[in-house]
Amino acid sequence: MIQKNKKVFVEGAIQPAFIGDEILKHQTKKNIGAHQLFLGQVRNDLIQGQEVIAIDYSAYLEMADEKFHEIREAIFKKYPLVCLHIYHSLGRVKAGEISLFVLVSAVHRKEAIQACAEIVERIKKEAPIWGKEIFGDESTQWKKNT
Amino acid sequence: MKINILSFGQVAEALNADQLLLSDMDNTDRVLDYLKSVYPQLQTMEFTLAVNKQLIHGNTALKDDDTLALLPPFSGG
Repeated sequence: MIQKNKKVFVEGAIQPAFIGDEILKHQTKKNIGAHQLFLGQVRNDLIQGQEVIAIDYSAYLEMADEKFHEIREAIFKKYPLVCLHIYHSLGRVKAGEISLFVLVSAVHRKEAIQACAEIVERIKKEAPIWGKEIFGDESTQWKKNT
Repeated sequence: MKINILSFGQVAEALNADQLLLSDMDNTDRVLDYLKSVYPQLQTMEFTLAVNKQLIHGNTALKDDDTLALLPPFSGG
């Protein structure tokens, strides 16, 4: 069952307790045999001697919602999954905190692992989201995905 | 006719605005020529375009109340 218009964006960092609660919620779905999760954490890159202390995320929300919906539909069509959850931060997330949380649940591990990897790659490439890296002296630079 | 312009990331910083309203521009090349003349920084910036949330490739016709978004390279995740 594909849930439509699921809320992806959360303000600020994704809290570890929230991630734990999400996993807990799945204990009632006893046909699941495998969860694959991806957590993107803000890294304190050193750029020309300056340390990244946070990333400020912004997005083209209406287009991003459509894109996330499109990704969900395509992934459910391609892989036999039980459920799929995507959360992405907006606003400031400090180095060491979580900004992306993908949880893919399936009957068996293989499809969960493959689907999760594909979702993360598609989000990085296709979702209209921008990260502005903030340095210790509050100077900034726009992040580039590699 | 009016066209809604949305910009994001480094493009929004260059324009010093994330929303603009333009009138009487019936294709995306005309909008780009105009914006690049007013904001010369755009000439060296990398960005793609979306009309009504769909990415476009090449010059595209615009109609009244269309939304044209200027999207620098995505960097989510």
